[in-house]
Amino acid sequence: MKLTAYFCLVFLLLWQPVYGLEYSDQELTMIRSLGPWPTESVKDPSNRFSQQEGAIELGRQLFFDRRLSKDNRFSCADCHQPNQAFQDSLPLNKGFDPLHRHTSSLLDVGHRPWYGWGGEHDSLWSQSIRPMLASAEMHTNITILKNTLKQDNQFQCAFQQVTDRTIGSFSEDELLITLGKLLASYQETIKSGSSSFDLFRSQRIKQSSRNDEQYLSIDAQKGLKLFIGEARCVLCHSGPNFTNGEFGDIGVPFFIQNGQGVDKGRYKGIQALRKDPYNLLGKYNDDPSKNNAVRTKHLQLLHRNWGEFKVPSLRNVSQTAPYMHNGSVRTLVDVIDFYSNLDEERLHADGEKILRPLHLNEEQSRSMVAFLTSLAGPISAATENTQLFSRCQ
Amino acid sequence: MKRVIGSLLSSVLVFSVSTAHSETQLIDTHIHYSHDAWNVTPPKKAIEILRTAGLQKAFVSSSSDEGTQLLYAKAPDLIVPVLRPYRKRGEISTWLHDESVIPMLENLLAKNTYAGIGEFHVYGDNANLPVIRRVVELAAQYQIFLHLHGDSDAVEYVFDQDPSAKILWAHSGFDDTYTIARMLEKHPNLSADLAFRNEHASNGKVDADWRELFLAYPDRIMVGTDTFSPERWYYIIDHADWSREWLTDLPTDVAEKIAYKNALALSNWALK
Repeated sequence: MKLTAYFCLVFLLLWQPVYGLEYSDQELTMIRSLGPWPTESVKDPSNRFSQQEGAIELGRQLFFDRRLSKDNRFSCADCHQPNQAFQDSLPLNKGFDPLHRHTSSLLDVGHRPWYGWGGEHDSLWSQSIRPMLASAEMHTNITILKNTLKQDNQFQCAFQQVTDRTIGSFSEDELLITLGKLLASYQETIKSGSSSFDLFRSQRIKQSSRNDEQYLSIDAQKGLKLFIGEARCVLCHSGPNFTNGEFGDIGVPFFIQNGQGVDKGRYKGIQALRKDPYNLLGKYNDDPSKNNAVRTKHLQLLHRNWGEFKVPSLRNVSQTAPYMHNGSVRTLVDVIDFYSNLDEERLHADGEKILRPLHLNEEQSRSMVAFLTSLAGPISAATENTQLFSRCQ
Repeated sequence: MKRVIGSLLSSVLVFSVSTAHSETQLIDTHIHYSHDAWNVTPPKKAIEILRTAGLQKAFVSSSSDEGTQLLYAKAPDLIVPVLRPYRKRGEISTWLHDESVIPMLENLLAKNTYAGIGEFHVYGDNANLPVIRRVVELAAQYQIFLHLHGDSDAVEYVFDQDPSAKILWAHSGFDDTYTIARMLEKHPNLSADLAFRNEHASNGKVDADWRELFLAYPDRIMVGTDTFSPERWYYIIDHADWSREWLTDLPTDVAEKIAYKNALALSNWALK
């Protein structure tokens, strides 16, 4: 009896409830900065159709409509597939010609400062015009498209209901921009929801660490600690959307296959954006204040922009393989391996270097993958809502 | 007859390529052709890029030196060979502790023609290490320049060793205009390249502080790209265009010196 009591006493003295890992104040501040998620939907002031339900439905129809391409070959959804996190899971896809950039996921695509791997556009609607016109992609002929849409009475009626004008009253340029804005209105609804990490974050913010491993495994929490600490991923993959919205050269080779030279990345992106008649500095920006064009106005072309590519969001990243601008990295494990063995001499930096080889061991790599996998939330997008146009049936 | 027409046509083509970029002559003083560039941009293509950029000359140093020799053999009129003390990538921070670098340099200097030794990386009092000291001696022996990537302390230490050394300060030390001016004033044998610097010009306009520097030391500044990764070879053309654009914002005589005359003078001095 005495012995039992002794063991009970020892057990009580030694037993500590497992509440997960401890976090420093600095780590908690960092964790707080990675939310809340999902964020509140905000209207895009450059797009007069943004958040209008009729525009969203018409944009949704257009998104799945192959008539937007030459010979009715491709719709937006053929590459941005809803059941593939709105990308195509291929390293490089092929339209009318082989493409040299990986299809980006459209998750949480609204309200980014720049669009495209090189930031060729500064609004979602102008970005939506690009693949329609690109000869390697949808290769749209706007004259033919205008005639096709005009002959579709049902579409014509819905279009007039949303825009208050007939298709025929639009110039080809105006029609192109309007289609871009309608497509953007739908794409703004493509969102990722609350993930395991977000639930963990909420718990931690409430200063309750009890049972927080039920939201985020200890392994994933170790990955989180690396992500915001030693590995410094958070310097670029920052904020609730896990991206700073800017561009970086992380040492991924950027030659284009078949001896076509190089993909200049952000360098060409800035040049293209400056020349783009549909950029936010132009007359098609629906925000009369043009406050949303300040970034574009003050862009500078820098040597470092050569071969820089967009810092992608890491939301649902486990569902958006393959990775990098050219889809050259197959899995998340390979991504971690890439950063572990980074070739510093491909990068030119003086002073404090952001990037350096992480040299992670197997356990650390596994933890990082566990953390990144925890960023997956349910995917949603506007669904069919044809009754809005019931009078057009 | 066909041969004559073909020859005339190719002359016209060559002429149109060279005139497209010949408004401002330009010498690029900061190019590397390292081992990982050779396959993806073979020598013929590399020379084509330099010619397309409209360069009169290109200062080339490579890890290993074989890259420089490959280009020099193809276009001795165009390439100004500079001897890099690295055998391969990855030796930026280790080379100056590796005494086997010295016999390699000695052999190559005895065998080939070079205008300089560099671009090499050295910071602070590491410039007093035996390997660097010997490099400084070799430059003096062969009367060639040193292409030094480092801070102003390293430059000072090298001048302490040999006040008559000629140093081309890579990236102008990534320093501010005040420090660059101070260094140029103090060391008449110091020149500076502008590789991977953006602060001096934006949208074709020269920054006021940099303009002051350029006007105060018009004989001491040069342009350069820095092809630190294989893909950067393709940047040589865009960089030349970018340089020509901002150079037009300077008085013509100053612009010409920075664009090519200073580099030509350095090359002629070394390759005399």
